[in-house]
Amino acid sequence: MTLLVSIAVAVMFGVAAYLMLKRDLIRVITGMILLGNAANLFIMSAGLREGGAPLVGEEGDLSDPLVQALTLTAIVIGFGTAALVLGLVYRVYDSHQSVDIIRIGDAEELQASMDDQPLPGDVSALDQSAIDNEAEVKR
Amino acid sequence: MIALPLAILWFGGLVLALLDGTRKPIGYLGVVVLASATAATAALGVQVHRDGQQVMEVAGWDAGTGIALRVDMLGIVFAIPSLVVLTIALWFEVSRDVKARIFPALAVFMGLGLTGLFFTGDAFNFYVFFEISMVSAYVLASYGETPRQLRAAMIFIVVNLLGSVLFLIAIAGTYHNTGWLDMERIAAQTPLIDVNPAIMTATLIFVAFSIKLGLFPFHFWLPAVYTGTRPAVAAMLSGALANIGSYGLLRFGADIFSRELHEAATILFILGTLSIIYGSIQAIARHTPAEVLAYSSIGQVGYILIALAIGGEAGYVALIVFAVINALNKLLLFLSASLRGWIAGAAFAVGAFSVAGVPPAGGFFGKMAVFQASIGDQRYWLVAVILIGGALSFVYMFQIYGARFWTNDEADEATTREALVLVVLVALVIIAIGVYPGPLFELSRDAATNLPERVP
Repeated sequence: MTLLVSIAVAVMFGVAAYLMLKRDLIRVITGMILLGNAANLFIMSAGLREGGAPLVGEEGDLSDPLVQALTLTAIVIGFGTAALVLGLVYRVYDSHQSVDIIRIGDAEELQASMDDQPLPGDVSALDQSAIDNEAEVKR
Repeated sequence: MIALPLAILWFGGLVLALLDGTRKPIGYLGVVVLASATAATAALGVQVHRDGQQVMEVAGWDAGTGIALRVDMLGIVFAIPSLVVLTIALWFEVSRDVKARIFPALAVFMGLGLTGLFFTGDAFNFYVFFEISMVSAYVLASYGETPRQLRAAMIFIVVNLLGSVLFLIAIAGTYHNTGWLDMERIAAQTPLIDVNPAIMTATLIFVAFSIKLGLFPFHFWLPAVYTGTRPAVAAMLSGALANIGSYGLLRFGADIFSRELHEAATILFILGTLSIIYGSIQAIARHTPAEVLAYSSIGQVGYILIALAIGGEAGYVALIVFAVINALNKLLLFLSASLRGWIAGAAFAVGAFSVAGVPPAGGFFGKMAVFQASIGDQRYWLVAVILIGGALSFVYMFQIYGARFWTNDEADEATTREALVLVVLVALVIIAIGVYPGPLFELSRDAATNLPERVP
């Protein structure tokens, strides 16, 4: 059982790492969600005992209930962050018309070149509204 | 008493989340909530100073069964500056008109997560509070919602979620190896576990916190985020959220994995030195204030790591003093760099002096503490590193000071009188620490005595 779980965790980590290195933001996010689930499986396998369901009234060897509570908490947190990240991806898509990291990176570089152009002190990165408006107009 | 700051922040955050934060009175309500939580934490600090560590078993479980909130001086000295930073940054943003209705509530929830993790005595509970503050930070990073801020938030979330997952795995590993989640019991058990699992877990924890701190090889997310977000948010991230990293390294490194920390000291010295040099040189090469400050943060983290690697009471005291002053410096610099006029310029100069470690400002004593610790440890090459780092920070700080405040001094409409008063206030606090550093050192010494001496 331990071997099986470790193989499953390893495969999930591998797939997650592969997806996170992709250009497509949706795949990156899928990789992140998978990574969280691999971690959840890892917590389950970190339990100290294996056995029956740890319910009140059960007899004999019971599995460790604490890791199950931890995993449940971690799943809830992971669910919340996944929803948040997907919402953010939608906003990024909305403002860049793309979920391709290369194209989003181009927008960042355009921004950086605009930061460098003006005389020092004239326009600061901290006063971004003007620059951002300009970027939007260009698009 | 322990639960009071948490209760204020929790209920305050809930109420604020339902209200429209773009309206001024609601924004000020958020400031009041954070300020009263700061006051409650200070009152708790007085109690801890008088009676020693305070413990509360949550929901009345027996000791050892339930989750314990355990407040010692170490938690207090990190909680108060973090809450102060959040209060001032929120106030600053309210004075310049909040753009998203959720902003005040998020600042309060970030305070809740930070205070909770500084106060908790349970490793998994630490993770939960950590996530509360991180999730607020994820949303805050996108505050402003221009394409640039959305990109910054995206980078921030992807990298920091990775860090959180690593930390979660490390906690699961710790539980498997020691059989406990309570930090005190884990600390008692870790010397007994095998070397390899201990090193694995300690490394994962180190990487997780280094990502939060933006230490040299894990810094890649930091410049894009600090330059992309709005100044108040950048101040919150670098002044409050980054404290998780320093606190976590002390709590988990110095307290729980002290043997592994000692073994890794050489690596920490190398990483710390690289961080200082890399951050300073990159900062000199940059033109915009936000970028310079971002790279300067990477450099400043190096001092924290060096103090950690020196260890012992002197090293830990230096770490705490430096981390507290650094949080205030970052708050002052990010806020004042977004303002115009000679008052903002003077406040910025105080922050710049503080980062460079020039006497009238508090940063002098932060650097001094690290300096003394490395002399006490007989590592004279570290003294050279600290001096070079200080000289380089002098160069880049005044480069941006010149670019920012000498070339253009007409006031713009974003520079409100209230915002100016706030930055002057922070500048005065930093000078006050520089003139009268005794109390801060005494409290830090008090906090460091709870940590075990490094095994020789």
